[in-house]
Amino acid sequence: MKNNLNLYLIEFAINALLRAKSKNIFILVVFTLLTALLTAVFLITGSIKHELQSTVDALPQITVQKIKAGRHYDIDTSVADEILTIAGVSEAVPRVWGYYYFENAGVNFSVVGIEQYEAQYKDSFAKLVEKFDFEELSSQSSMVVGRGVKEVMSSSYYKEYFNFIKPDGSLKKVTVAGVFDGDTELESNDMILMSKEDVREIFDMQEGKATDIVVKVPNPEEVTTVASKIKLMYPDTRVISSTDLKISYQNIFDYKSGVFLALFVVALFTFFMIIYDKASGLSSEEKREIGILKAIGWRVDDILKEKFYESFILSFLAYLFGILSAFGFVYLLQAPLLREIFVGYSQLKTSFELPFVFEIQTLFLVFFLSVPIYIAATIIPSWRAATLEVDEVIR
Amino acid sequence: MILAPEVLAILILNSIFLLFSLVAFVLSVRIFIKWDMSATTQEQYGLEKQSFLAATIIKYIFAIKLPLFLFFVFTLDKISTLLTGAMCGAGVVDATDYGSYLLILKLMNLYLFGFWLTLHYLDIKSPNLPYTRLKFEFFIVAFLFLLVEIVLEGVMFGSIDIDKMVSCCGTLYSSSSTSAISGIFSIDTTVMLTLFYGNFLFMVIFYMMRYQYLFAISNLAFIVVALISLIQFFGTYIYELPTHHCPFCFLQSDYYFVGYLIYSLLFLGTFYGMRVGVVKMLDEDRGKGFKLSMIFNGVYVVLVTAYPIFYFIRNGVWL
Repeated sequence: MKNNLNLYLIEFAINALLRAKSKNIFILVVFTLLTALLTAVFLITGSIKHELQSTVDALPQITVQKIKAGRHYDIDTSVADEILTIAGVSEAVPRVWGYYYFENAGVNFSVVGIEQYEAQYKDSFAKLVEKFDFEELSSQSSMVVGRGVKEVMSSSYYKEYFNFIKPDGSLKKVTVAGVFDGDTELESNDMILMSKEDVREIFDMQEGKATDIVVKVPNPEEVTTVASKIKLMYPDTRVISSTDLKISYQNIFDYKSGVFLALFVVALFTFFMIIYDKASGLSSEEKREIGILKAIGWRVDDILKEKFYESFILSFLAYLFGILSAFGFVYLLQAPLLREIFVGYSQLKTSFELPFVFEIQTLFLVFFLSVPIYIAATIIPSWRAATLEVDEVIR
Repeated sequence: MILAPEVLAILILNSIFLLFSLVAFVLSVRIFIKWDMSATTQEQYGLEKQSFLAATIIKYIFAIKLPLFLFFVFTLDKISTLLTGAMCGAGVVDATDYGSYLLILKLMNLYLFGFWLTLHYLDIKSPNLPYTRLKFEFFIVAFLFLLVEIVLEGVMFGSIDIDKMVSCCGTLYSSSSTSAISGIFSIDTTVMLTLFYGNFLFMVIFYMMRYQYLFAISNLAFIVVALISLIQFFGTYIYELPTHHCPFCFLQSDYYFVGYLIYSLLFLGTFYGMRVGVVKMLDEDRGKGFKLSMIFNGVYVVLVTAYPIFYFIRNGVWL
């Protein structure tokens, strides 16, 4: 196939673009904004997905919940000892935790109970236990809070302590002993840590009961088998493995960016029409130019090629600028406004950082959604221009 | 239905292809019916202009389809993580009844569009455009294949059920499986390898003798033989695992995406090889495709041969 690049033709195309400066700059700016918006959405979902999945990675492989009448229910701590007898299980820890709704600020705190001399199911907790003695905290009835929680509490003038309202209406005063940072902000921002006894007291949970049980299985190949064994032993439980969680995260974010893209199609289509219109409206200047080119011996193919170079250069530049500005927008400015679409469940309204995640597939994806569409819009107008009658336009 | 952005992107581009190829199809039919090179009518003059539009559209579609095919394979790999049981593209292809047909059709269409371009370049090189009717006749056929491909692709992505369990490549391509693929495992490895290298040897001989038709036919046979030997023999050395025969897994990052290189070499080599036959059919005697075909096929053979040899050097045994 003969596809030699003609450098003079490319130079001519660049000059042609520069000659119609205002028109092309307008197209460039609009197209850059479009690609930037699209790229930013994919980058944000990529980052959040990464953040959540690394949270899942830090968790134990299996979570066991008791289900009663289709609802989550407290589970007996003795179940953990039974699970520990299954071959392949290295740890089974009953967790005591829950969400505490703080009406004043309209947020949910995750209140997590920690026992000092117990194997910690999270590395970040293990570090905390070294720093704070939860036995001691319990005797003083105090707690360690995440950064976001601390801010929310201070804004409600709870600077030294916090009053939890127990289910029977009485108050429990817990003093703030310290602030901690987690590995990822998404998990630690809304978290309050205190001893298990205190958590039980706040939620009115019986001794010997736990919220759920987390199971550590060191060999990833055995996770499925262990999960099915637990399910057989306790048919009234819901057994969730970390791979299930990962797949559902993937699904949720694919779905979110998919919906965004589906809406975005409208914008792309509109853009397609604008380009088609812009490219069709040739000024008499441009018509004369094409007429002269043909008169001095350019073939239709040459003009088509030159027009293709023009649209490719323009759209590829817009693509590059779009990608770069999206990277700046998401990772330097932390994607104001746009991020809110993707972060928003029962969480503290937090200020977590989007971690830098670079996936080359995003670049390809955005490429296929931008450059070919622009070029497609210019095919028919270019052909119209290229087949103009010489004698009609120069006359 | 999977609403992954990759799938949507493919569907959006497909709808653009559909729109434009429809235009090209209408123009092709008109040109095919009314083309008369010797006429000096207004109509013939208009047709000549329209042939440029049709050709540009077809070139555009081909230019996007080529990278999009790689992207499609990549997408199959990506959505395989969503399907229970699937570990690579094989599971996704097998998830619906249409997957394997779609893949074959996609490949075939790439070859068809490539041949169309060959025809086109031969056509516009000559001042009296000898093949214009022929190339648009050819496109009318190619358009139907393209149409089937686009419909099939939409149906396939639409009918993938995320909650349904699919088979993993380990079972799909196991030697004990009873599927159609198991037939190729009944072929003896030595026979298989003799066929593979014999075929390549013939190709070299035909290349030296410049037998164009035989060269093209040996290339056509080479696609089949190479793919079967890749699944049955060479693949196991890429994985260094005697039981793993999957032709998709080596497209993944664990094998440094080597599959993309392997398949590109094979398909480019055989495309140029068969192109030689097409050119010969039109009595245009040019040997340019010969060399390119030999280079790509040669590198392919060296690459897949290197895997077992390096394995043997490192471990001292064959799998």
